Amino acid sequence: MKTRIFTLLSLAVLFTSSLGIAEQGKPDTQRWTVVNYWSITCAPCRVEIPELNQLFSELQSVDIRLVGVNFDEDDRERTLMLEERMGIEFPTLRQNQVDALSVSPPNVLPTTLILSPDGTEKARLIGAQTRESIKLKLSQLLGAAQ
Amino acid sequence: MRKSSLCLAVITLFLVKLPSNGNAAEITLLESPAAKASSLSRVVATNSGNVLLSWVESDGESDALYYSTLSDDEFSKPQLISSGTDWFVNWADFPFVIATGQSMTAHWLQKRDEGTYNYDVVAVFRDPETQMWSKPRIIHNDGVSAEHGFVGMLPLSGERTLISWLDGRNTASHDAHDASGHGSGGMTLRAGIFDTDGNTLTEWELDELVCDCCQTSVAMSSEGPVIVYRDRTKSELRDIYITRLEGESWTTPVSVYVDNWEIAGCPVNGPSVAAFEDQVAVGWFSAKGDQPKVSLSLSADDGASFSKTLTVAQQNTNGRVSVAVLDSGKAVISWLETAGKMASLKVAAYNYDGDLLDSATVAGTVSSRQSGFPAMTSSGNDVFLTWTEVASVKQVRIARVRF
Repeated sequence: MKTRIFTLLSLAVLFTSSLGIAEQGKPDTQRWTVVNYWSITCAPCRVEIPELNQLFSELQSVDIRLVGVNFDEDDRERTLMLEERMGIEFPTLRQNQVDALSVSPPNVLPTTLILSPDGTEKARLIGAQTRESIKLKLSQLLGAAQ
Repeated sequence: MRKSSLCLAVITLFLVKLPSNGNAAEITLLESPAAKASSLSRVVATNSGNVLLSWVESDGESDALYYSTLSDDEFSKPQLISSGTDWFVNWADFPFVIATGQSMTAHWLQKRDEGTYNYDVVAVFRDPETQMWSKPRIIHNDGVSAEHGFVGMLPLSGERTLISWLDGRNTASHDAHDASGHGSGGMTLRAGIFDTDGNTLTEWELDELVCDCCQTSVAMSSEGPVIVYRDRTKSELRDIYITRLEGESWTTPVSVYVDNWEIAGCPVNGPSVAAFEDQVAVGWFSAKGDQPKVSLSLSADDGASFSKTLTVAQQNTNGRVSVAVLDSGKAVISWLETAGKMASLKVAAYNYDGDLLDSATVAGTVSSRQSGFPAMTSSGNDVFLTWTEVASVKQVRIARVRF
């Protein structure tokens, strides 16, 4: 519980600090971004979706982007169908948006990346994540960035 | 597609020589019998030395499994095995067909209505006398709504078929599915032997905890069938394991090579095994320390032990390995070599001392999942390699490689 409060406070402080690392409404290219790779065939991916959904809603208030990537690269129609079927509430990127990230695709599922505002890959989290594990990593990275 | 099929009866071979990096590899691109908008191909050899190519055509609404036979340098007119609107088809897990003596066995994955993520392995068996396909039947008798897939199939004597598959029966919760549709158990490896009516002659659980989404692979050594797969330990080591059928029972699975690749996830990149007499070759992908690598292990005692393990490629590869063993004793391996978004389909031949004999680039493709899993087989000393060409539309391609 203490860890949770600390993490939330850390994020809140970091994002409302006078340094203005993350002002509300900044363009996507100027925000920290969490990128989750998912697949319909990946059971641990499905396990982490509810956690990511909750994290998505929490991170919106601190202006951190959380997006998904369909690892299987299905066409857009099928991707959206799968997104709905898996109960994913955060946006899944189109392929051209994935390409624009310029990150190397993961060798393993599930994989979650954390990108700094300039698009640099700062963390590659392998295996099913919780919202706490991602927030902890974010707070470490944001602390280091200050 | 049908017009092109007619053309196939007249001209089946483009005698197109592709570049080889080495001394002797001769690569001939064959005219594909598969239509445009085809993908997910497999190639297997028949007992008579012919080659069976299968692939999937999808129109967004339904998926269809086709095959064509290469005989005397001529592909037959594509034949539809089955189609469905309720198939589960994925870039890494898809239907294919094998030849079993005078017959054939095909499989696909069929979604269950009750479960969001649940699907069964369904197989059809072609009668060797009437050449009629059996009614589709679910090959596992657990009756559990769970994931079943990543099938390996091998012809046995008496027109029987050995089928291996990943079986998620223990992953399904007994009362109600949690949000992910997952219970507390692990993915298992199972295998069974089936007759031409699809009856289960025998069935085994071979490993109670394996990697969730990597292909299984089967081959016939002189001592009997072998199955290779990606294992999973409780400490999340995901090395490649082998088990062998000795008489009526399977040997305790052992690692082919100790990679000690610890990952709390699945690489979706299964191993491949091939055999000729007592020689068994296993190829696989790993990425310990985030260092991608393709390895090849060679056995001269039917897979009981592996005396040589070679690093075939490293750094610029995403695996997707297939292997073959030629009658000459050469071991051949294919893999994808990556360069950013692009990739090359590579093939290399080794002797059983582990010496590299030759390597070549068969085709250019993309490194993404769109290029799928190339597959290889051997007939005598010929290698047949199939892959999906990714352009404005996808199309299955096939080449013959001679080392």
